[in-house]
Amino acid sequence: MFKNEEMEINLGPQHPSTHGVLRVKLRLDGETVTHCEPIIGYLHRGVEKICEDKTFFQGQVWTDRMDYVAAISNNLGWAESIEKLFGIEVPRRARYIRTMLTELNRISSHLLWLGTHALDIGAMTVFLYAFREREQILDLFEAFCGARLTTTAFRIGGLREDLPPGFLKQAQAFQDRFLACVDEYETLLTENRIWKKRTVGVAPISAEDCIAYGVTGPVLRAAGVAFDIRKAFPYAAYDEMEFDVPTATAADTYARYQVRVEEMRQSHRIVQQCIDKLPEGPVMAKLPKVLKSEVGEVYHAIEAPKGELGYYLVGEKGSGNPYRFHVRAPSFVNLQALPKMTEGKLLADVIAAIGTLDVVLGEVDR
Amino acid sequence: MPMTLTQTVVMALIQIVVLLAVIMAVVPIITFAERKVIGYVQVRLGATRIAGGHVGITGPINRAMWALGRVPVFSILRGLPIFMADGLKLLTKEDVIPEKADKLVFILAPAICMVPAFAVFAAITFFPGAEGLFTFPASFPIVGGLKFMGFLTDINVGLLYILGVASVGVYGIVLGGWASNSKYPLLGGLRSAAQIVSYEVPLSMSLLVPVLLVGSLSFRELSVKLATEMPLVAAVPLFLGFFFYLTCGFAETNRVPFDLAEAETELVSGFHTEYTGMKMGFFFLAEYANMIVVSAIAAAFFLGGHYLLPFGLQSQLIHALGAGHALNQPSILFFVGKVGFLLFVFLWIRATLPRYRYDQLMHVGWKFLIPVTLVNLFIAAAIKFVWM
Repeated sequence: MFKNEEMEINLGPQHPSTHGVLRVKLRLDGETVTHCEPIIGYLHRGVEKICEDKTFFQGQVWTDRMDYVAAISNNLGWAESIEKLFGIEVPRRARYIRTMLTELNRISSHLLWLGTHALDIGAMTVFLYAFREREQILDLFEAFCGARLTTTAFRIGGLREDLPPGFLKQAQAFQDRFLACVDEYETLLTENRIWKKRTVGVAPISAEDCIAYGVTGPVLRAAGVAFDIRKAFPYAAYDEMEFDVPTATAADTYARYQVRVEEMRQSHRIVQQCIDKLPEGPVMAKLPKVLKSEVGEVYHAIEAPKGELGYYLVGEKGSGNPYRFHVRAPSFVNLQALPKMTEGKLLADVIAAIGTLDVVLGEVDR
Repeated sequence: MPMTLTQTVVMALIQIVVLLAVIMAVVPIITFAERKVIGYVQVRLGATRIAGGHVGITGPINRAMWALGRVPVFSILRGLPIFMADGLKLLTKEDVIPEKADKLVFILAPAICMVPAFAVFAAITFFPGAEGLFTFPASFPIVGGLKFMGFLTDINVGLLYILGVASVGVYGIVLGGWASNSKYPLLGGLRSAAQIVSYEVPLSMSLLVPVLLVGSLSFRELSVKLATEMPLVAAVPLFLGFFFYLTCGFAETNRVPFDLAEAETELVSGFHTEYTGMKMGFFFLAEYANMIVVSAIAAAFFLGGHYLLPFGLQSQLIHALGAGHALNQPSILFFVGKVGFLLFVFLWIRATLPRYRYDQLMHVGWKFLIPVTLVNLFIAAAIKFVWM
């Protein structure tokens, strides 16, 4: 008489909450998730293979299009890994500007995450507040390199041009109002009973599981592991910056929210130091017209907003292209943890889990 | 003056037509208000594209205003005609019925949802005074010299009728979700069924407080006596009851933070995912009409209705100043103002709060609201026993 049937539903690839073209195949028993399978590949363009046919100078354009909300982080990883391969020394001023822009990009990426995550859980106003500030950051990018999203901001060896006139003033204007804005988001969410009910204890993943799955970034730090590549293996100008690595121990959605909000404050602090201590000097190293590589390989990782973004490059003798190029994309690796986080939970928790993992499908599929 | 049968029928028809016209006009205005209120909360302008621009019918006025160096006076109303555009769009959309849907139920569901939402208004008293809202001049045929009352009917089980009829509306949602023969609507419909069944109980329980205090089920009698004949202590259960009732009202109308049945980030559009055109428009009309009903009941029973002060405190004012004082006169403006404020609260909450999860919603309903409304009912009973 009582037949127990499981229902299979597809969340995506066209669904309001799956952030791009993620498709999640769910088996539901009532509203309880019994099986969760993320299906990816809808945005695959073969970035890694394409880059093997491009010169070292051209490849950066493709990195913009991986994690398109944090293009500058991708650019930085690309530029630095090639500089590491060729042993190029980047001028100090260029390193400072790179750090500043990358941190601004981290803020803008976290703002997009905050807005969409809150929207998924039903708090629609935070989204527009977050985008208001993100807009200011994108204006800064536009002032610097002419593009707002696909920036191609850096060049191998430094920067194409110095900061435009008035940039620092514009950046300072953003800096002056941003902390109050973060407080504003927090008044809407942090102590909100419903927000806490929807996030505390939701989609947990322990530190051991994080490490086993290779999950990095804020998700790992919210599980109590203070691993941040900016501190562990400093790059750009992070060795000269003062900042804290926020961690939490609860390892749930709320802890990740707290960690990311605090990261925005720390990024704000780093940007302020960059503005205050910006050294004078050239922004470009002396480079040959054409880069011809020797046989060699390099793995360079940076702390992207989503986690450890690693570039693995193999050089071929006498060639201007990478022989092999591979990206360790944090979104891709983090997404693996989704079934672990959601099986046995409710349908609404899947939405919260996708939001809290902060995946960008451009980077997952590449 | 006793009325003839013809007069009674014609009068009732006039009242029905006026009532429906008012609701049909108010509902689209609420949708416009929703755009604007949420827009301003979210530091944006909301709808601005129709009226208020430099072209079109209102163009010359606005151009003149801009030329004077001023923002057009009615800039807050910019985009107002969008409510007509909304309706027009819904009417002209292609009406798609899914291939595998249960066609009869699919077509019936929006009507099942909408008819009760409008039928409820029959028992609502907008103005309780025996003098009515106005009197038809004697020159009118048939109805000349008759009063236009502020209510359609004053049945002695008015509240029971409202609760009974309003709960029929959920069938529309459940059947609509089921008849679509699609997964997301089914989940939405089931959620909605569970939600409304759960919240019906505390909703009725919180409405029992006024019923107990007055000892009547007639809407008109309730709304008058709750404002004018309450002891001071009655403000306690009425004050608490107001918040419990409003919470349940939000759940009954499927509004944020209880909009699980149409949680767009989880279930696309929930129960009306497969609906298009005016069929979907019916669901919307029903939702907004229900919002008005919930606000009207809350305003009439808990916020003092047609009198100035809420929670029965008007009785103290009458006691102090005498029934003839200007502050103690009922006015429909008080009622409309209170309903308007509550509708604003609906929109305000929507802009501010996230959404509950399905199981948490059940917890709030069964483990919190039912016990506290019961306690509140006991408080009211004790007051009735000791003070009245």
